[in-house]
Amino acid sequence: MFIEVKDAKKQYGTGEAAVYALDGADLSLEKGKICVILGPSGSGKSTLLNMIGGLDSLDGGEITVDGQKITGLSKKALTSYRMQSVGFVFQFYNLIPDLTVEENVEVVAEIAEKPLDTDEMLKALDIQKYRYRFPRELSGGQQQRVAIARAMVKNPKLLLCDELTGALDTRSSRSVLKFIEKVNAQYGTTTLIITHNEGIAGIADVVVRIRDGKIASYTENDHKLTADELEM
Amino acid sequence: MKLNKRYARSIKTDLSFYFSATVLTMVTLLMFYLFYIAGTGINKYGDDFFSAYKREDATFSTYAEIPDEELSALELKYGVTLEKERFAATDEGEYRVRVFLPNGKIDLYEIQDGHAPENNGDIIISAGYAVENNVKVGDRLKVNGKEYAVAGTFLRPDYLYMVENLTDDYKNVTTFFLAYMTPEEFKDSFDGGSINYKVIYGDDTDQVTFRKEINENYYMASYLSADSNMRITFVHQQADMFIMSSWFILVIFPLVTVALICILLGRRIRAEQKLIGTLSAMGYEKSKLMRHYSLFAAIPGVIGGLLTSVCALILSGPFGSIGLADYEPMKPQFTLPVWVAVAGIIVPTLIYWLAAMLRVRKLLKEDTVKLLAGQVGNNAKSRRILTKSKKKVGFKYAIRQLVGNPGRSFVIFLGIFLGAMIMAFGYSFIDSVKAVGEQAHGEFGTFKYEYVLNTLEKGAPDGGEAMMILPYEDGDMRRFSLIGLDGDATLWNLTTTDGKKADIENGFYISTLCEAICGVHKGDEFTFRSIATLEEHTVKIDGVIRNGYQNYIVSSREKIADITGLDKENYNAILSNHSLDLEKDKVAETITDSSFETQMQNMLNAMSGLVYAFIGIGMIVCVASLYATVNTMLSENRHNISMLKVLGFENGRIHSMIISSNHLLLIPGIALGIAAAYGIMAWYSSQFVEIEKLMIPATLKPFSIILTVLFTAACYFVSLLLLRRKVDKTNMVEALKDGRE
Repeated sequence: MFIEVKDAKKQYGTGEAAVYALDGADLSLEKGKICVILGPSGSGKSTLLNMIGGLDSLDGGEITVDGQKITGLSKKALTSYRMQSVGFVFQFYNLIPDLTVEENVEVVAEIAEKPLDTDEMLKALDIQKYRYRFPRELSGGQQQRVAIARAMVKNPKLLLCDELTGALDTRSSRSVLKFIEKVNAQYGTTTLIITHNEGIAGIADVVVRIRDGKIASYTENDHKLTADELEM
Repeated sequence: MKLNKRYARSIKTDLSFYFSATVLTMVTLLMFYLFYIAGTGINKYGDDFFSAYKREDATFSTYAEIPDEELSALELKYGVTLEKERFAATDEGEYRVRVFLPNGKIDLYEIQDGHAPENNGDIIISAGYAVENNVKVGDRLKVNGKEYAVAGTFLRPDYLYMVENLTDDYKNVTTFFLAYMTPEEFKDSFDGGSINYKVIYGDDTDQVTFRKEINENYYMASYLSADSNMRITFVHQQADMFIMSSWFILVIFPLVTVALICILLGRRIRAEQKLIGTLSAMGYEKSKLMRHYSLFAAIPGVIGGLLTSVCALILSGPFGSIGLADYEPMKPQFTLPVWVAVAGIIVPTLIYWLAAMLRVRKLLKEDTVKLLAGQVGNNAKSRRILTKSKKKVGFKYAIRQLVGNPGRSFVIFLGIFLGAMIMAFGYSFIDSVKAVGEQAHGEFGTFKYEYVLNTLEKGAPDGGEAMMILPYEDGDMRRFSLIGLDGDATLWNLTTTDGKKADIENGFYISTLCEAICGVHKGDEFTFRSIATLEEHTVKIDGVIRNGYQNYIVSSREKIADITGLDKENYNAILSNHSLDLEKDKVAETITDSSFETQMQNMLNAMSGLVYAFIGIGMIVCVASLYATVNTMLSENRHNISMLKVLGFENGRIHSMIISSNHLLLIPGIALGIAAAYGIMAWYSSQFVEIEKLMIPATLKPFSIILTVLFTAACYFVSLLLLRRKVDKTNMVEALKDGRE
């Protein structure tokens, strides 16, 4: 398995204020697949994504990505893991406002071990004509495409998307999902999308539902749709 | 208003900002208080002491003694207080002593420790020497070959600044002191001693007529008004300099700090624009919001002002004492006037309050929707630079951070600039005083000894070169020496500012110090008068001799004799390359080529505490201002830092991208700080001419420049180091939650 999560536990706060964001979650995912994790707010889906991405550490359990045990890695090793293996896309894009579109992508390419060509990435996401613009000069959908280009330019093994269409209208959401499909097909990047939007689940190879910090269901999607076919 | 509960919480959250802002406020106010307290305390003490102990208005000597009954007649005639003072000088090898018979009416002494001489074996000495050499009551000292028990120490109003000879440039409390013994003992030891006359003029006294009558009847040998007596004038002059410096500091440094804090506060308020927009949308009135934020800003002003005032009230004694280094151990009452303390609290508070209010008012003029989206102030065109450049992204980011945030960059620059300037000024002061000692040799001439004689000699001296030297004054009573030399004199420096040798046989030349003090230049006609006879003379100045340490007009002995009315063969001083075996009684003063350097070293030793305190303050200003600004910068970049972490950037790379952009400001900040320090030192030197009768060449040696660069850079990197952990501690997940672009 490419991703293996075993009995993952994470608690925030203590005593009466304690909240169990993950309460013994288990998950396995094959390489190259698109996995959509669905769940209501506070179900623990963002926490699970952060743990797999090496942004936060578990209180119990274990996570392995591509044979590498993430749990217990030092801060330095986690930084290296994020740099080499993981690409992130967030709901609010989180682009660096003082860098142009091209620079937001290049800044990652500069530190990656085997980066993809920046121009190729900009073309792939159809944003080359905005290369000298700043994030504030772009629409939400365009900004999200820049965020995908930035995540993909390091040629990561794993792409983690946190509510990537959450701030977009339907047309922009569809456009962004098309690019997710495209990079998944072109680069074979294992993709994990967390969302509360049921409509997105159609493009997934695997649909996981999470509730109260536990995996409630795991379904392989036999009727996978393209982004254009989704009902959103 | 419930909203005001945020004050306490905000201080806790932004502790580092409030701490830095408070420290900066305190440092600048402390500097103001320090100089103000010292200046006013010394001035008041001087006035009170002069009045209580009957300070003279002038001292003079005559060739013929004035009979006692004549003194009373003169007092009645001119409405003056006149007293004959008897004194004697003695050289004990290790030290020299000027012994006085106590006066009854003028220049009385005040016992500082112990008691007045009661027995013939008692002596009291000037307090400065006792402190400097740790002489205690009961110790024994040899004076005029006889041992005396020290019964006490004293101060007297005409010697609060203990200059041994009026030609000296700095006090001497290491090898010179004043003393009193019983009248019987004085008579036994020194017979009658020498005589000086002390005078206090009445309000209606015609001083010129009085002096003329003295000269006509008793032949005035010397006359020194209190206004020209450095031992007296220094008290108020240095105190006035302190007060002047305090206002300079109050105007310049706090304003700069206020500007710094205002910019930081403005940025913090801008960072809160979403909240301001939300509150505005909720219906909060503009005036309430303005009041809320302006009170926020007033916190560092109130805390800083209060703490500084309390500190200054408690520490006003030690504070003011720093300014006493040059004086005899006076005991002024140093107090911080209430109005100054209140001003110290109100002024910065008011400025911060106003700055915040204007900032919020400006923000509230913006569209509420823009405020809610946090988009106000994010469209700086300057951030667009280098968009098509192929340089590294990190470099382009750094440049945009600097150019796109001019206020923040200015504050960082200011912190570096101020720190470097204050430190460099401290070092420049040390270098400049040392340079006086080093350069003086060349400007004096090549002689190793200058013997000033008690008597008027005639002909050629037995070794060395003859010199005639007499005190004169200009129309504004500024004293200088009139010097006569032989045309072939070689030991006195006669090189003019044009690089030529002064033709003293055919003209009159002034020193550069005389040029600065008396305002006379080459080609001018200069009118001056004899201090003794008040007879006026006018000569044309043919050139200026480079000498910033001695105030004189020089010409040939013959020309000087024409002015003084003495014989052209007369001389009263000898210059020599080697020690001369002269009769001890004939020598009034011996000046060696190292005397001047020693005086400068003494001046440096006395002021070193103040100078190093200044350098320390520079360091605090540098670290505090940089810490406050970079801290704000990190808060503003919290989102970018967490995103870079998510992207896999190591902390080192993040430091270099976010913080290191400021390195570009380091070199110009230091360079301009050093240049400004040099400029201030040059101005300070020009002020010194009047007070110290000395031209201090503004100097900043390469080693001092290196020290300034190193210390400023160290302060800069220390402040960044203190903030490194903030980058390391930035939580990726938490920071990303509120990141919306």
